[in-house]
Amino acid sequence: MDRQPLFKRKTAISYKTEEKTVVRGYNVSDLAEAGYTFYDMLFILFQNRIPAENEADMLRYETGEFLEHSMSPSAASAIAVIGGRPNLPAAVAAAVMTFGSAHGPGAAHGYMMHKYIERARVEGKTLEEMGKILVDEYMDAGLAVMGMGQPQHLDGDPRAEPTHIKHEQVCSVVYLALQRSIEKHFNERRKKEGKAYVAVNMIGAGNTALAELGFSPNAAWCIGCVCRGFSCAAHAVYSMKKGRAWAASKREPMVQMLDLSMINYKGPADREVPSQAERQQYARKQKEEGEYKKWVI
Amino acid sequence: MGNLDDPRLNYNYRTREHGTVPMDEERARFQWVSEVAYKNVHRIVSRGYDTTELVEKGYGLTDVLFIDFQARIPLAEENEMLNYVMVVMLEDGLSSPANISRIVAGGKTLMTQAAGSSILAFGHAYGAYQTFGKLMDGILARQAKEGKPLAEVVEAVVREQLNDPALGVSGLMLKDPAAKRMIARAEKLGVAGKYIPLMKEVVKAAQKFSEAPVDIDLLGATGAAMFDLGFTPEATWGILAVTRAFAAGAHYCEEVECEEPVRLGQTLTPKEWYEGPEDRPVPTLEERKKVAKAMEAQTPEEWKQIFLERQKIKGSGWAIVEEIDDPRRKI
Repeated sequence: MDRQPLFKRKTAISYKTEEKTVVRGYNVSDLAEAGYTFYDMLFILFQNRIPAENEADMLRYETGEFLEHSMSPSAASAIAVIGGRPNLPAAVAAAVMTFGSAHGPGAAHGYMMHKYIERARVEGKTLEEMGKILVDEYMDAGLAVMGMGQPQHLDGDPRAEPTHIKHEQVCSVVYLALQRSIEKHFNERRKKEGKAYVAVNMIGAGNTALAELGFSPNAAWCIGCVCRGFSCAAHAVYSMKKGRAWAASKREPMVQMLDLSMINYKGPADREVPSQAERQQYARKQKEEGEYKKWVI
Repeated sequence: MGNLDDPRLNYNYRTREHGTVPMDEERARFQWVSEVAYKNVHRIVSRGYDTTELVEKGYGLTDVLFIDFQARIPLAEENEMLNYVMVVMLEDGLSSPANISRIVAGGKTLMTQAAGSSILAFGHAYGAYQTFGKLMDGILARQAKEGKPLAEVVEAVVREQLNDPALGVSGLMLKDPAAKRMIARAEKLGVAGKYIPLMKEVVKAAQKFSEAPVDIDLLGATGAAMFDLGFTPEATWGILAVTRAFAAGAHYCEEVECEEPVRLGQTLTPKEWYEGPEDRPVPTLEERKKVAKAMEAQTPEEWKQIFLERQKIKGSGWAIVEEIDDPRRKI
């Protein structure tokens, strides 16, 4: 049996021999035997250190609340993919991959924080002042301020403020100071503009705490998004075992997700397919008229 | 209009309706139906438990896994065991999930693409929890049906499937005690149920029939432990594939930090590795009419000949014979 790695890489993360698997110098079996938790492991994996107990507890809190969020793009994707009855991992992988610049933009929020903390340092400004600068720059440019607002939890994500409070109990240093300033100035400006209050979301609260715990933007993003993969697996398994494949059956009492009546077509009206003899003239005219351009995506 | 005017069609294609289907007013409107979780503006609720209340009361990720998949709060010992399994499963060096993550990272992608794609490494050989679960449940079902001693049924199954990568027994962990320590920990915590004793019988039978030394491997240990914690094979498959995806995120980070991105067309394949046809001239389109012929079978005998010929073409897929299982199939 070939046990050589597929390709050659130097790595500082781990090694594996016939005798043991070692992560950042620690034998994983020994870690498990000694009673370290999965939360501790994430610190070892991403930060090369065993966390203080209150740090591991903060991560317990965050991963526990990140895990399940009922119907969001990730769960919806898992359910849609499993409708075709592929292997379960395909649905779970798709769910994790839904996380991008709109759904849980954790890394982007982290990089935003880093940029403005660095500017505070270089420009000799307080984090309170930098929060206002960030809000003004984003809003003047017409950009969404990351970490604010959630399309479903209109009065504020139920997890966000409790996370901030928990965060304050563990530690409260640069990231939370900047985040709190962003929230304050964001809503002050909205109020001046006659707009409604918008609360912090789980990127603003959760990602800020993960950053304070020492996770890089991508590591924090990984923890948040991959955690969700667990619940998406649950939603996919539920759909696989108790739902109907294909999601289009007419025999179900409820209209299904992929019932034909769910299709609302707004494209060009039905039109005759030109023959091959007509094709060149037809295509040239179509290109010249340019009406097609409004449909280009 | 081409073949669409063929009288053998049992419909008139040209007169079929155009346009979308009107809303179905007879049935209830579409909703996301779930037994797992719901949320409203103010709460997220999994199996009846508010998730914020759970974490405020000291529950964590591993507890929520029991809640999401099994609709119950685990015993402290069960939670401890799940933690143990996940600690051991998190990272495995440069194995398939890490490799996939690194390859995807090389294309300069988002971390979520790399971590997500790593989950696809879990199939019916690597991390074969679904297959392993069906094998275990199949043995138990067979024993219940035949009423024979467990050891006898296990031996009959293992004799047939000794080299199955989903058996949970192999030569992979002869020098690494991690799998056996995991089983011992489950027994010590009192969470071993019917699967760990069954797995021990499987190991015993495999050692009896195998010419090479074999023992319980990581699939066998983690699978049996997870099933005894009450997780179904599918839940186990999902949970442990996702567990490994956290480490795939770290491999993504290291690949981006330490390696150059890979460009389209950059990677060469050495001629020495090539074992296909010799280099040959491309026929003109005129010559094609003489050179090319359709591989059509007129009889089952001809079909068999062509089938066997096609199996010689590596990469065509004809040499793969597999059963793509319907995941809804019951034991």
